[in-house]
Amino acid sequence: MKDNQTIAISVAEASKLFRLQKQRTFKELLPALFGGQKAVEHFWALENINLKIKKGETVGIIGPNGAGKSTLLKLMAGVTKPTKGKITLNGKIAPLIELGAGFHPELTGRENIFLNGIILGLSKKEVTDRFSEIVDFAELWEFIDQPIKHYSSGMYLRLAFSVAVHTNPDILLIDEILAVGDDNFRKKCFKRMEEFKKAGVTIILVSHALEQIQKFCTRAIYLNEHRVIVDGKVEEVSEKYVNAGVN
Amino acid sequence: MSMIKLFSQYHELLGQLTSREIKQRYKQSVLGYAWVILNPFFQMLVMAFVYSIIIRIPDLGVPYSIYLYAGLLPWTLFNNSLTGSVNSLVGNAGLLSKIYFPREIFVMSTMLAKMVDFALSCSIFIIFMIYFQIPVTWNILWVIPILLIQQLFTYALSLFLAAANLFYRDIQYLLNLVLLIWMYLTPVIYATEFFPEKYQWIFKLNPMAIIINAYRQVILAGGMPNLQSLGLALLLSLGILALAYKFFKKVEGLFADVV
Repeated sequence: MKDNQTIAISVAEASKLFRLQKQRTFKELLPALFGGQKAVEHFWALENINLKIKKGETVGIIGPNGAGKSTLLKLMAGVTKPTKGKITLNGKIAPLIELGAGFHPELTGRENIFLNGIILGLSKKEVTDRFSEIVDFAELWEFIDQPIKHYSSGMYLRLAFSVAVHTNPDILLIDEILAVGDDNFRKKCFKRMEEFKKAGVTIILVSHALEQIQKFCTRAIYLNEHRVIVDGKVEEVSEKYVNAGVN
Repeated sequence: MSMIKLFSQYHELLGQLTSREIKQRYKQSVLGYAWVILNPFFQMLVMAFVYSIIIRIPDLGVPYSIYLYAGLLPWTLFNNSLTGSVNSLVGNAGLLSKIYFPREIFVMSTMLAKMVDFALSCSIFIIFMIYFQIPVTWNILWVIPILLIQQLFTYALSLFLAAANLFYRDIQYLLNLVLLIWMYLTPVIYATEFFPEKYQWIFKLNPMAIIINAYRQVILAGGMPNLQSLGLALLLSLGILALAYKFFKKVEGLFADVV
């Protein structure tokens, strides 16, 4: 029972099978059926993953392209369900998988803050209370009432990141997003993440950049060919990762 | 049951997504929301001209224009709700693959946005009612349960169509064709009596026919709706909804993979 209270994410024997549906229209489907082509192709994106992530841990996930890193993150975020196995989450989750997923270009910055905040699980009142904090952090007071289609990509990301980090999550899932934005803002993002870390937020960071993970995480998981290769202290895992010669 | 829980937990999200859908439309064009009212209005004018002056539909007890409008408005709601819903998941691919919340919220928000359109386009209908001095009785309150049955039926079909369209994008084109044929098999532009008797069984099985006849009965004729038919439409809608919801929930876990 004590175990349950300290575990933030538990992944038990989880596997994910993707059905690649090759034909999306009847035009493609009909000849395929008559020609005896398979309509669906299967492949395992993840096989038998077992993980227990404790509350307050900062875990980096590394591995080559196609190893299943993003799939693992999406499973944790609940956007896709495991084909086998079980995933249990303990706490409020903020997926920074792709920033600004709910943004609409025709709406103003202000409207998008409310829209995205509520999509990420805040109530309207909570967004109102945090509104100025969010805009302060994004440094976008000047443009807040303009449609975000006029924003530069940097401004767009700043706003999206700012909304996401103001949702007071217990678990933060981050997918490669910190490779974007200007230097200044990136520093600010990392500072904010350090604060989260100190506050005991569980952070899962997927990245290609090993230095980022070495700098920030205490534990690392090396994923390759849909399986966990090594899982342990960040120093050990990064050593094995470098020795494996990928990257 | 699960619907109530869903509403209490996600009503703000539903509200935001609905207003996003409404706002994006009026921001994109000059006349913006006026189109919502003008479209069915002009459609009605053109059809009223064709059918009362050129084809000369026999007397229906009320002016043909208002008779037509009473059928055309709910049909437009049905038509727009389905064509909107069928794309509600595909059109939100970005959200669908990034953040989890119950996926039927997308379908619901599309339907709610179309309800707002419907309410606005009814304003001209009310002016017509006053202009033609159509007597109104208490029976007009039946409009509320009739509308509820219509929306239940629409929601059931929408859930099914939205999910199916993710797997095969042809569904949306097929839907347009089906809706065109369906409209002519529903007494929208004509009255049930004009239809050959031997084919009238179609109307008994077509919930939209039952619903549109009921609207006309309570609004224009001031009478009671045919409760037996309406009950059948309700049962049919609930049955389809149960199946559609089960199907939707079964494939929901795959949405992010196929989108």
